[in-house]
Amino acid sequence: MITVGMDLGTQRVKVVTLKDNVVLSREQAFSGFDPTKAVEQALEEALKKVNLKTSDVAYFVATGSAMDMAPHANSTVSMMGADAKAGFYLFPKARTIIDVGAEEARAIKCDGRGIMVDFIVNERCAAGAGTFIEAMARALEVKLDEIGPLSLKAERASPINASCVIFGESDVVSLIHRQESKPEIARAVFDAMADRISSMIHRLGVNPEVILVGGVARDVGFIASLNRKLGVDVLIPEYPEFAGALGAALTAASRAKEGQK
Amino acid sequence: MRKVKNDKTEKKFMPEIPRKEMDELRNSVKAASEKVIAENIERMKTADPNRSEAMKYFDEIANLFGQRQKEIEAEKEKGKKVIGYMCLFAPTELILAADAIPVRVNSGWYDTSKLGDRVVPVEVCPVIRSTIGAKMIELSPFLEQSDALISVLTCDGMTKLSEILSDTKTVWGMNVPRIKDSEHSLRFWNDEIRLMKTQIEGLTGNKINRKNLKEAIEITQRATKAFRRLQDLRKGPPVIMGRDAMLVNQAYSWDDKKRWTEKTETLCDELEKRVQSKKWACPPDTPRVMLTGTPMFWPDNWKLPTLVEEGNPKGIIVADELCSGERILNDPVGVDEWSMDDMLNAIGDRHLMASTCPCFTSKDGNEDRINWLVNKVKEVDVQGVIYYVVRGCMLYAMEYTKIKKALDKINIPVYYLDTEYTREDVGQMKTRVEAFLEMLTARVDF
Repeated sequence: MITVGMDLGTQRVKVVTLKDNVVLSREQAFSGFDPTKAVEQALEEALKKVNLKTSDVAYFVATGSAMDMAPHANSTVSMMGADAKAGFYLFPKARTIIDVGAEEARAIKCDGRGIMVDFIVNERCAAGAGTFIEAMARALEVKLDEIGPLSLKAERASPINASCVIFGESDVVSLIHRQESKPEIARAVFDAMADRISSMIHRLGVNPEVILVGGVARDVGFIASLNRKLGVDVLIPEYPEFAGALGAALTAASRAKEGQK
Repeated sequence: MRKVKNDKTEKKFMPEIPRKEMDELRNSVKAASEKVIAENIERMKTADPNRSEAMKYFDEIANLFGQRQKEIEAEKEKGKKVIGYMCLFAPTELILAADAIPVRVNSGWYDTSKLGDRVVPVEVCPVIRSTIGAKMIELSPFLEQSDALISVLTCDGMTKLSEILSDTKTVWGMNVPRIKDSEHSLRFWNDEIRLMKTQIEGLTGNKINRKNLKEAIEITQRATKAFRRLQDLRKGPPVIMGRDAMLVNQAYSWDDKKRWTEKTETLCDELEKRVQSKKWACPPDTPRVMLTGTPMFWPDNWKLPTLVEEGNPKGIIVADELCSGERILNDPVGVDEWSMDDMLNAIGDRHLMASTCPCFTSKDGNEDRINWLVNKVKEVDVQGVIYYVVRGCMLYAMEYTKIKKALDKINIPVYYLDTEYTREDVGQMKTRVEAFLEMLTARVDF
């Protein structure tokens, strides 16, 4: 049975195709102004890779902030529910999943059956999420994929405020004026984010096995800071940005089975 | 008690807004609000396919610019006084005894909170900012009709709000003790009640005596009885949507008390028949949600109840622990002797001791609130609690951790939702509320 999960995020759309709970293909595209079209394209690519057509798919589930705009969707699942499903699938022992996307950070606790039992979402400011890194990279005049490796060269960190992107940026500017080194400022950015996210996790209760997913899980600088803050090494799947879509595809599989009964 | 001086010549807080600008602002906010009221009612009507006929009355009284405003105006012309209040601690029984009209005047308007920003910073609780804004453009019929306001100094916001409103109104501050479980606090509070009696008598020119006070207490006791009957009907499979019950509960704060009681009894009669004929308001397996936290005032601040009851999956609000909801009439005034002293003490007791407001603490902390919540969860078979806080509402925000721990112990999930007086964050709230409802559904499935 073929099922598809579509994750319509704020910055990118992600599609995962699944056959009997094994991933067949993944595809992503920028959400842009028309997320529906973006998903349609990503879906076409993902299916083409494995010689499938839309009509071969038994069930579609959409997730992500624009889930209501998804084409083909038979039903939807919340981002937190999808993360819990994917986290449990990828690392069956883990009970805490952190998802850091472009504009939102989430921490989810699940039970031994992969059922979400509690979750927490960052406050309305995007300072704990990917957009913050982008803004800070701009302030430091480095590319987005450079800021992480750069931060690893720091010997110490200077504290900055990460309660708000704008305040964070003005703190970075004052560090620049104090002529702090770029690596140290870069590390300060990640430390501040990790601070916010680890306090979210602490409010949920830390579990030794913590999974990190979402686009930001690709950033070595953030991972280093988060590991330091939590005192554990977080587990990261091979394709962390596809966790939401994977969770949706898994949900699709169980809902399709439910429907067959 | 401290009488805030009513010196209308010098405004210490309020800006001078030219009459023309004020009228324009009021008209546009009022027009928008009338639309919101109509839309909310329309959505509530469609939510329940078997909606009770008796709700029609409450749909009408829900129009803050409608029938009730005119009634109060007519009463005022006949010489009656109107006394507004901002907190449940205000002894409305005394107002009724003096043949005056009690109305609650906290603002639920989103648009006026932006106007309030001209007087206080955005960090201040939006209930306060919005009430200031409503006064600035004379939007709230009940606030405008008030001849005096009772402001109970519970949180920081309420305390300063009383000073700000005293620029344009006579405001009587009531000093509430923060530790309620002591003899000495109760004595202090009972003195405040007696001083308030004198203030009300002074304004209305009507002496409060044994006879009229007993009558007033009996009016509120009958209302409490009807009120409790309604909440009891929410314990079983759903015969009334949460939003409908919340509107009925809140309408008490501006409606005529006797008529409200009659109409609520009629509604309950109808709901009892629905229990018999199993005409549910929504499928009986719909996740049962309780709300707690910052008060939610009609009409604009209806977004959370709407999201819960129109979500995907849907939930139903079966209970709340809000001072804009179930706390309004939950506790009756318990009188033994019907002597003046006994009645006044009973009023003091009912307003102070029964309150679960987070402005209190004691050697066990605000233990009353935890007990209330835990009992309610069991009694009404609540499956999940949404802890709702508006930004700037420190007391509710700070009590969360303790409440969460208490609810964790009885295995009831609770979600902390913070928001503002704005419509713009509905999308984000929807994501969170729906994830929570999905979680409750998943827990049921297993």
